[in-house]
Amino acid sequence: MSVWGALAGGFAGTLVLTTALRAGNELNLTRMDLPFLLGTAFSDDRTRAKAIGYVLHFLVGMGFALVYYAIFLAVDRSGWWLGAAFGLAHGLFSGTALVNTLLPLIHPRMGTPSTTAPSVALLEPPGFMMLNYGVQTPLVSLAAHVAFGTLVGGFVSLAG
Amino acid sequence: MTLRDPQAAPARVDGYAPIGSYAAIGDGRTVALVALDGSVDWLALPELDSASVFCGVLDARRGGRFALAPDDPHTVARRYVPDTNVLETVFSTQGGSVRVTDALTLPDEGFGPLRELSRRVEGLTGSVAMSWSVEPRFGYAGRATTLAWRGGTPVAAAGGDALAVCAFDAGRPDLTAGAIRGRFEARAGTRALVALCAAHQEPLVIPTRDELEARLDATTATWRTWTDSLHCSGPWRDAMVRSALALKLLVHAATGAVAAAATTSLPEELGGERNWDYRFCWVRDSAFTLNAFLQFACGPEAQAYFWWLMQASQLTHPRLRVLYRLDGGARAPERALPLDGHRGSRPVRIGNAAAGQLQLDTYGELLQTAWLYATTGHRIDRDVARRLARMADLVCRIWRQPDAGIWEVRSAPRHFTQSKMMCWVALDRARDLAGRGLIPGRHAGRWSAEAQAIQEFIETRCYSPRLGSYTRSADSEELDASLLLGVLLSYGDVATERWAGTIEAVRRELGDGPLVRRYSGEDGLAGSEGAFLACSFWLVEALARGGRVREAADLMDELVGLANDVGLYAEEIDAATGAQLGNLPQGLSHLALVSAAVAIEGATPR
Repeated sequence: MSVWGALAGGFAGTLVLTTALRAGNELNLTRMDLPFLLGTAFSDDRTRAKAIGYVLHFLVGMGFALVYYAIFLAVDRSGWWLGAAFGLAHGLFSGTALVNTLLPLIHPRMGTPSTTAPSVALLEPPGFMMLNYGVQTPLVSLAAHVAFGTLVGGFVSLAG
Repeated sequence: MTLRDPQAAPARVDGYAPIGSYAAIGDGRTVALVALDGSVDWLALPELDSASVFCGVLDARRGGRFALAPDDPHTVARRYVPDTNVLETVFSTQGGSVRVTDALTLPDEGFGPLRELSRRVEGLTGSVAMSWSVEPRFGYAGRATTLAWRGGTPVAAAGGDALAVCAFDAGRPDLTAGAIRGRFEARAGTRALVALCAAHQEPLVIPTRDELEARLDATTATWRTWTDSLHCSGPWRDAMVRSALALKLLVHAATGAVAAAATTSLPEELGGERNWDYRFCWVRDSAFTLNAFLQFACGPEAQAYFWWLMQASQLTHPRLRVLYRLDGGARAPERALPLDGHRGSRPVRIGNAAAGQLQLDTYGELLQTAWLYATTGHRIDRDVARRLARMADLVCRIWRQPDAGIWEVRSAPRHFTQSKMMCWVALDRARDLAGRGLIPGRHAGRWSAEAQAIQEFIETRCYSPRLGSYTRSADSEELDASLLLGVLLSYGDVATERWAGTIEAVRRELGDGPLVRRYSGEDGLAGSEGAFLACSFWLVEALARGGRVREAADLMDELVGLANDVGLYAEEIDAATGAQLGNLPQGLSHLALVSAAVAIEGATPR
């Protein structure tokens, strides 16, 4: 196992995850757009926000890849299938806690359960499993995260 | 706004207060309706479009309410605390008078409940025996509700929802027969408070009295600060400010969506079937909504609303749904609830089947909204620009189809004239945006050609020489007040004979005093309905745009005088009785008022 493998996997995995979500947008399956959500924390200019968001998303993706790597080291195992399982857990965590609960609390432009008049949020909160962004969002998101985990696990394994 | 002369609260009929007797209070997440007799007869929790905990307005026997009033015969006068959505009601009996202040309070920096309804009772003179009763009925009165004491506080609970009843100097609460009740004597100089604190899928937060009192005072101050920021002037300033505050109640703070109204199934005809759920955001209203926000200089609301609109419509792109849920969802399945209905008006519906209709006018409204947004200094990003262009392409493909029209009739689809006009508006605004370089203009030539074809269709098949007017639909002799939107959105030149004739025909055939009905002809539903307030204001605006400013102003004065005692409008008014009908407060009525007032201000007398 190698940290460079994890970083390479993180890069490839984020690329695939981002592309999958974007494809989900184009196919009208979901309105979930992680770079947009991340970027709008820093800018209310939609174009600039997306650019910032893509950079941040790749950094976050690399960060998660390093967390995967640490767990691979801890359990002394790695591989495509273990990565896919981590990706599934990661996707569930994202939908239930990370994006659903934690992101609205720190995102200055996203609504929360306590947002009331006279404030008005620019971004709708994701809701449980991000269902506010479309009923098929959980499936798209989970599939994308499984792909991310698979690639990270595979790259770590290959680099070993 | 001053307190109007005290009056006896209108008698309830079979337990129902008149629709026009309700005032609305809200916090940007939900709205409660308070009747003139002091009863909160509608409250959905935790969101405006959630299931209700009080729906006595829809079922007086089982719906639940929060009553608060003197025991003895009394008169009542009320108003909103100026420039706020905080309601102030003065009850006077022979023995004295009390002031009740009602608000859905806004959170402060402290730790408070998810939603909080506070009712403060201040003794003004003498002594008044007061009673209150909270009858919570969760899930549109469909879920079993338990009442119990929790640490000295009465709590009503059902599943993941709970409501704590916090009473201070308002008598010892008594839990009996599905209600929490209390009685107390309000003497001059005393102050009591009863607050409902709601939780949803989390533990209840029980605030102290000081916290409740502070939040109620802060809520008044916060609303005033917001109102102070409004850009608003002219002879109808008070009505416009009230409209702005009513609209703000319909803005869903978490998403920026704007609900069409705060309620479901308040009838358009007493005892009839025209009862609809309006707790959704209609694309039809978008141009008026954004325009009102821009007129009031409500920048954050305008930006949030446009962002929400473009995000919500993304899933169905390039097609538009007629309406979207406040959370941006596209599905709104309609079903009937087992409730009696307001004065027997059944069915009581939740959800709205109009969501799945084809209404071509929505494309014109959305592109007009985008045009307004882009031409007032706001940026449209590349993705949105691309989507707007594709929407214009879609209009080119579908404008020849019959549709359900702006009034979402449930009869067979037709070639509604207003729908075609709005398709023309869609292509015209797309051409303009492309000309400014704000959206891709590769297909602008096709948009122009199709716009020309639409115009030819309208001018040849949707005009009746006999009526001297455009008609409700192609090859018909029926009229429709929504044709006036052709003037308001610049399809037609009001100075032409055809438009002057249309305005006159609408007034002649659909008018009833200052009011205007929506259309003549059938709509697939039994019964009839009242006059439509938005159409009445559209007539005012059409007159003003035609230079008949004095006439428009006089009509405006009459319509402004038809608001209820606190300045709110439902959807319709029974021209014979003056009774308000339909859901309340109705955003479109208030939006049309604002638009008409602005048009008169900016009009040049002919």
